[in-house]
Amino acid sequence: MSFNFGSKTNRPKAGKEGTPMKSIRVCSAALVALMLSLAVAACGSSGSSSDSSSKVGAVPAEQSLTGKTGGALTVLASSDVDYIDPGAAYYQFTFMVTGATQRSLFSFGPDDAVDPVPDLATEAADVASDGKTVTVKIKPNVKFSPPVNRVATSSDVKYAIERAFLPTVANGYAGAYFGDIIGVAEFQDGKAKDISGIATPDATTIVFNLSRGTGGVVAGALALPISAPVPKEYAAKFDAKNPSTYGVNQVATGPYMIEADAKGALTGYEPGKKINLVRNPNWDRATDFRKAYLDTINIEEGNDDTTVASRQILKGNAQVNGDFGPPPPVLKQIVSSTPDQLALTPSGGLRYVSLNTTLAPFDNLNVRKAVLAVFDREAMRATRGGSLLGPIANHFIPPAMGGFDEAGGLNGTGVDFLKYPSGNLALAKEYMKKGGFPSGMYTGGKELLMVGTSGGAAQKASEVAAAQLEKLGFKPKLRLVTQDSMYTKFCNVPKAKVIICPNVGWLKDFSDPQTILDPTFNGKNIVEVNNSNWPQLNDAAVNSAMDKAEVVVGADARNKAWANIDRQITALAPAVPWIWDDTANIRSTDVAGVINKFNSNWDLSFTSLK
Amino acid sequence: MSALLTVNDLKVSFDTEDGVVHAVEGVSYEVEPGKTLGIVGESGSGKTVGTLTIMGLTRAANTTISGQAIFAGEDLLTASEQQMRAIRGDEIAMIFQDPLSSLHPFFTIGAQLVEAIQVHNDVSKSAARSRSAELLTMVGLSDARDRLSSYPHEFSGGMRQRVMIAMALANEPRLLIADEPTTALDVTVQAQILELIADLQAQTGTAMIIITHDLGVVAEVADEIAVMYAGRIVEQAAVGELFANPQHPYTRGLLASIPRLDRDRSSGLDPIAGRPPSLIAPPSGCAFHPRCPRAFDRCPAELPPLEPAAAGSEHLVACLLGAAERSEKQ
Amino acid sequence: MIRYILRRLLWVVFLLFAVSFITFVIFYLLPSADPAALRAGRQPNPELVATIRRQLGLDQPWYVQYGRYMKNLIFHFDFGFSYQNGVPVRQLIFSRLPASISLAAGAAVLWLVVGIGVGIIAAVRPRTKLDRASMGMALVGISAPVYWLGLVALYLFSSDIGLIPILPGANSYVPLSEDPFAWFTSLIMPWCVLAVSFAAFYSRLLRGNLTEVLSEDYIRTARAKGLSERRVVFRHGLRSAITPIVTIFGLDLGILLGGAILTETVFNIPGIGRLSYSSIVRSDLPVIQGTVLLGAFFIVFANLFVDIFYAFLDPRVRYE
Repeated sequence: MSFNFGSKTNRPKAGKEGTPMKSIRVCSAALVALMLSLAVAACGSSGSSSDSSSKVGAVPAEQSLTGKTGGALTVLASSDVDYIDPGAAYYQFTFMVTGATQRSLFSFGPDDAVDPVPDLATEAADVASDGKTVTVKIKPNVKFSPPVNRVATSSDVKYAIERAFLPTVANGYAGAYFGDIIGVAEFQDGKAKDISGIATPDATTIVFNLSRGTGGVVAGALALPISAPVPKEYAAKFDAKNPSTYGVNQVATGPYMIEADAKGALTGYEPGKKINLVRNPNWDRATDFRKAYLDTINIEEGNDDTTVASRQILKGNAQVNGDFGPPPPVLKQIVSSTPDQLALTPSGGLRYVSLNTTLAPFDNLNVRKAVLAVFDREAMRATRGGSLLGPIANHFIPPAMGGFDEAGGLNGTGVDFLKYPSGNLALAKEYMKKGGFPSGMYTGGKELLMVGTSGGAAQKASEVAAAQLEKLGFKPKLRLVTQDSMYTKFCNVPKAKVIICPNVGWLKDFSDPQTILDPTFNGKNIVEVNNSNWPQLNDAAVNSAMDKAEVVVGADARNKAWANIDRQITALAPAVPWIWDDTANIRSTDVAGVINKFNSNWDLSFTSLK
Repeated sequence: MSALLTVNDLKVSFDTEDGVVHAVEGVSYEVEPGKTLGIVGESGSGKTVGTLTIMGLTRAANTTISGQAIFAGEDLLTASEQQMRAIRGDEIAMIFQDPLSSLHPFFTIGAQLVEAIQVHNDVSKSAARSRSAELLTMVGLSDARDRLSSYPHEFSGGMRQRVMIAMALANEPRLLIADEPTTALDVTVQAQILELIADLQAQTGTAMIIITHDLGVVAEVADEIAVMYAGRIVEQAAVGELFANPQHPYTRGLLASIPRLDRDRSSGLDPIAGRPPSLIAPPSGCAFHPRCPRAFDRCPAELPPLEPAAAGSEHLVACLLGAAERSEKQ
Repeated sequence: MIRYILRRLLWVVFLLFAVSFITFVIFYLLPSADPAALRAGRQPNPELVATIRRQLGLDQPWYVQYGRYMKNLIFHFDFGFSYQNGVPVRQLIFSRLPASISLAAGAAVLWLVVGIGVGIIAAVRPRTKLDRASMGMALVGISAPVYWLGLVALYLFSSDIGLIPILPGANSYVPLSEDPFAWFTSLIMPWCVLAVSFAAFYSRLLRGNLTEVLSEDYIRTARAKGLSERRVVFRHGLRSAITPIVTIFGLDLGILLGGAILTETVFNIPGIGRLSYSSIVRSDLPVIQGTVLLGAFFIVFANLFVDIFYAFLDPRVRYE
């Protein structure tokens, strides 16, 4: 996902998800690679949820999963969630809320960034060997919050996925991960009343029939909040509105619900002001792995001055941060004085400067390589606060994800043009000569349109990037606009003919490397609106490798396949990767904060007061 | 009969950023009950500052005042601010030049009159309003009751000056100071106002100082005239004497600049050449000498004292010319 | 007078139309984000984008969209829905209004009292040390940026991160209806910070006006009547000197009711200012329209009230 990436909140969005490969069969393969405890937790094969919670993987020294029950937690945020509707939510900070209020089929325990645990599901999804059928069994005893009050069934999961395809809901990722379900097109065209490929043989069984063997991806994506059940008889009237008003009338299945009146209308949500979570009276602890120590959670939004907000948290006036990270000066101070109040977690994302491979001069591979060679990526990283905020990226799959090590790990794939973090002008000139510029300098003379985000670290990064290009004689014409505008009017629109996008980046949706590479470098994903293949890389070899890798089954095999694709892409130099972000979270001293390592945010269901 | 007001060697100067302004440089005169003193001079001659000082209205950190102004046995220059407030508007009242700017634009005529009455008399508002209506009738305004709720801008210039007169007479003052009371008015109205002032003075028996640059005005109402130039009295005499026998070249100049029916039109007016002197650095000797057609070598060197024009005469003049020379036709 | 007011009201309606029109056009001309794309999600097929565009009414020519918007506004008092979160704009605005009113009204009382008080003291003691000191301070107050002042206040006095922790700091705003005392204390700092530059400006303005008025002939008349200096200054002097201030005050208050963006931001007060700021950042046209119209409404009505009130203050002014 990309849309708030690099916003003033400094906080990328990330999906909260497990790899798509979580069939029982795959689990055995995972056992080889992973620690036993992790694998057991990931597969969560059977037994009650309380069992599975006790099996959640190794607890790092700083994270204790036992805590005191009761009390209120205050979360400070600078902006609002993207969509309060769990069916449209596609933003890390929103997932912090949905993780506590909604039970999707699968979810992540706080200490496992890779493998999900069954949540509404009773056990891991069963993916048929041809990858065309995914079957999930559902717990029979998870109830909706008032005013619905009944048990959630397989039909409610089916409706949740169907409504995600309604234009009034406009989910941002349903098409990417569930588009292969049979009958989606007919449903979207209004020719069918439901999606025929989702079958509910009984109240506790749901079956997804797919036209291609992408069952692994579908199973993985079931850990996104899209699979949290929605009661049709209650929600349909809200979904008929344009836009849907189910978000402000939503019901919960998790331990918490957004405060609401007797009819279900939210009273605890005021856009840009607050989100108040209270206990869901219909939640049964016995059905869930969550601890839910806190009684209430108050998310207070609008804290635009993150320096002030960070200090308020550090001093104990509020407990944890929501959508923002501490600004660099505060971060440095925390590191030197109270490091125990800081948690740094790999975000599962990276930032890069994309070069338009369809337009001169970057349609020339050697010229692109020259640009990568000359870039001072240390200077780029310094704009965000230096090495504390993560390692310099040398390829595209980020750390703590499948395929990272296979693609070369921190050292990179071995290409010489990414060997020098501070850039190498001589090498760059060599590539320029190979690219047809005998002087080693660009002599095209044409101004190159470059569109960046105005303000803050993003603007600094775009200015530094422009300076790097000038070293080789390019003349970037830097245009600075708002972040939304940069994406939706320029970089996401191939027709806008932007040559350089200095402020783009991508985050995993779940830990499968496909979620990083496919949306961003697959030639078939070049679209007119909301294009996220910014370099418009359309390389036949890469495309066909991706087609094959999509239907590969088994984590090791998939990681290897996608790591090879990463090497291929890196060799094509479509973009300058410059940081694999770490996410910095802070807490007050009176809170036992638990980070959910998967979405690198505080886990509201495990955090407790001291 | 003893004087109501005796001014003795009054000096007033102001410290300003440009230097010390010597507005009044030793002025003495007396006003007797029921009588009218006219003070005549160009603007900047100190005639207004002198009377404002007597009223205690020029007191400020940057003002230096010396001399005496004995009113009913009390020196107004050393009286406390509280004593002065009791006297102002009650014992001594003033009428100003421009009745439009001198009336508060945001308050009704009635409110301004009532305020003037109530500040010195412990009477009810309705009693004060009745008295105000009487006063307006007295100064010749019809429908007086209705007029009380009018605002100054709804009146003509003459009517406004009648209101000012009514306000000044509200508490039956013993001394009325009228500072250029007709200057801002139409010529036809001027005469009416002067007549009104004279009538009312006759009725009430109040003493008056009338300040003007126009000898024609004082000719009609004053008993005695003092001519001021550059902060000093240069000539002082009974009105008939002054007009018949002006002694100072400046006075003669002023008289020559009055349009008169009995003079040949072709000879035209005879304004005094030159500009009024600076009060920060006044000319040496006789301050009038740079403009004086009769100036001679002593004039820039000596300050002429104010002396009887002839021995024993009540006619005073400050000029270095001999008596004979002064009377010569130019 | 009635006819004048009616005519002015017509003019107000016209102005609001013009403002709404201009906002609409500006939004279409300037490079802002594409709301349909923002909703369409990843790699959408063109049909989905077209559907969303149609549902948001964005497929129509801008004048049709404008007409529809105005129709709903006029006949149903409906400002439409936020693109961002689907919440009716009317509801958003009315939930934010109390905070903006609280902030603006409290600060206005403060700056009037302080500004007028200091202005009078300085005017009746011209060129004294007190006068020079207060006018010097006022100059500093006018020049100090509000955001900076807010941060300084927070770091000095807020109970959580301040050196002298005595007042509730950022993010402490509580609605009046919930807890009047907490409402009051949470707003003390924002009021002071917002009021500083206004108080400074008003004191300098009043000092200038009053100094000038006190040299007017009618003040001399008032003194000649034997009035006390207090009465001269307060009843006669202030009455005239304050009139232009009333005009400016009406406009300032009108502008602030439409949102005090910087103060609301630094203290995290959920008012109209923050709403309009975030809607601009997110290209949320219906909310932008709503907040701009609200701001314009306050300003034109403040203008109208000021003009009408002026006629009562200054009897020389009469409207035909």
